[in-house]
Amino acid sequence: MVRIYFAGIDLGSTMTKIVIINDDEQILAYVVHHTGAEHRHLANRVMEEGLAEASLSIDDISFVMATGYGRINVPFADRQITELSCHARGVASFFPNVRLAIDIGGQDAKGLKIRDGKLLDFVMSDKCAAGTGRFLEVIAAALGIEVEDLGGISLRSKQKVSVSSTCTVFAQQEVVNHLSAGVPLEDVVAGLHDAMASRTARMVQRLKVEPDVVFTGGVAKNAGVVKALEENLRCPVLVPEEPLLSGALGAALLGKEHVLKALARGETIQTGERRLDRATFFEKE
Amino acid sequence: MSYYLGIDIGSSTSKGVITGDGDVIAQHLLLSGVNYRLAAQKLVDELLAKAGVTREDIACTVATGQGSANVELADQQIADIRCCARGIYSIYPSVRTVIDVQGQSTQVLRLNGEGQIANFVVSEKCASGSGRFLDIIANVLQIKLEEVGPLSLKSKNPVTFTTGCAVFGESEAVSRVAEGVAREDIVAGVHQALAEKISSLVGKVGMEERCAITGGGALNIGLISWVERKLGVELLVPPEPQFVTALGAAIMAEDTCKDG
Repeated sequence: MVRIYFAGIDLGSTMTKIVIINDDEQILAYVVHHTGAEHRHLANRVMEEGLAEASLSIDDISFVMATGYGRINVPFADRQITELSCHARGVASFFPNVRLAIDIGGQDAKGLKIRDGKLLDFVMSDKCAAGTGRFLEVIAAALGIEVEDLGGISLRSKQKVSVSSTCTVFAQQEVVNHLSAGVPLEDVVAGLHDAMASRTARMVQRLKVEPDVVFTGGVAKNAGVVKALEENLRCPVLVPEEPLLSGALGAALLGKEHVLKALARGETIQTGERRLDRATFFEKE
Repeated sequence: MSYYLGIDIGSSTSKGVITGDGDVIAQHLLLSGVNYRLAAQKLVDELLAKAGVTREDIACTVATGQGSANVELADQQIADIRCCARGIYSIYPSVRTVIDVQGQSTQVLRLNGEGQIANFVVSEKCASGSGRFLDIIANVLQIKLEEVGPLSLKSKNPVTFTTGCAVFGESEAVSRVAEGVAREDIVAGVHQALAEKISSLVGKVGMEERCAITGGGALNIGLISWVERKLGVELLVPPEPQFVTALGAAIMAEDTCKDG
């Protein structure tokens, strides 16, 4: 039997993700890299790595769907689509009963109201670093610890301090003040996670909080924020095994739907010009 | 002679003023650091030494500012907006609007004819509305904070900052530097963004002339110029803008003593 394959690439502000699936919607390969400044170069690199992992060539892929804020910088994409639809689709494939999805990435935070896998409403915050992954990055850098370690540190806390600031810059100073006053690191970090979770809870309030609540994006890898979010939402929070992939997976799945619809109508699939090899950051448009 | 002490422990700097017989005898400023108690002690000691007086000579002390609770010598703590209003009224009795730009907050006061506060607004939730934003961008451009204001006035083509956030603004500044945008255009853009925020605060309290600017932000001639352009009025700048609140505190110490 002949297999067909689909790729979804999510070029986020901080991380770039690619997922390759087959027509049974099984994930054959995924790759995650830091986005950096050279979007096009990176898009090519994750695609090449993804293809190598899946033992496929670019011509085996029936459709490449790009999403994320840098989606226009994917030279080999057949189509671009906004990340909201992709996230909704990706999250629903992990957790079919999802009703509220929260995605916190490097530079924004989103809340999606989903019913039967369909996106009904959303809220978004990208005007302020507080409440995004950037908040944790800035503070971790100020504390001289890795952002990946924050979650584990905060779980040791017995008595979190209150971090009142709604601003990353001021919170950074507050944290330094708490530490110099002798507050244990874990209590300070737990306080930060709580401040972030309460901000997120306020943001999604309008969408109605009811299970299943699913949390994705890079920040969902932080077990301390997950716990704080559960406390603030008063509701269990589900996290997929690979919380970074929901956008890219959703893009691949939407690509598959697009192709199947076209085939059902007896149309040929319009793919873009696949410029995988020659495109580089330095290329002139 | 009786002496009166006004101590203003701010988030970035701590200021002290000693008055006697209605004149300023001495003033002193130092960085607050992370320990307000230590800063307050050091400030009081150094200020007294400067004035050549002892603690016993001080009839009354008023403490103000974010760290006012840490001033051991204080007879009274008074909110900084009241001290700022009192200070400016003693310098410019005709002022009706005061823009006080501090390291971590900006406040705008509207005063009545007697120098009392008729309305006020405080912006302290976001670094992009305070002097801190300038600090951050000066750091990105590796120039001294006191140079950013004059440099901004050389710009013919200020960049537009698309975000209202100091952290994202920092990234934007880094991108502009990488693109080869002139430094004066970047700092002018930050001043413009800050002037925009300040003018919206002024709009909230309702502007009445004359207007004065105080606090550390008033040392920045670039900021003054951008705010003037935005508001369409000329700003009065007191000779020692950072000491206005501490001066107001010393005057209130004197008022308290004479009333009580």
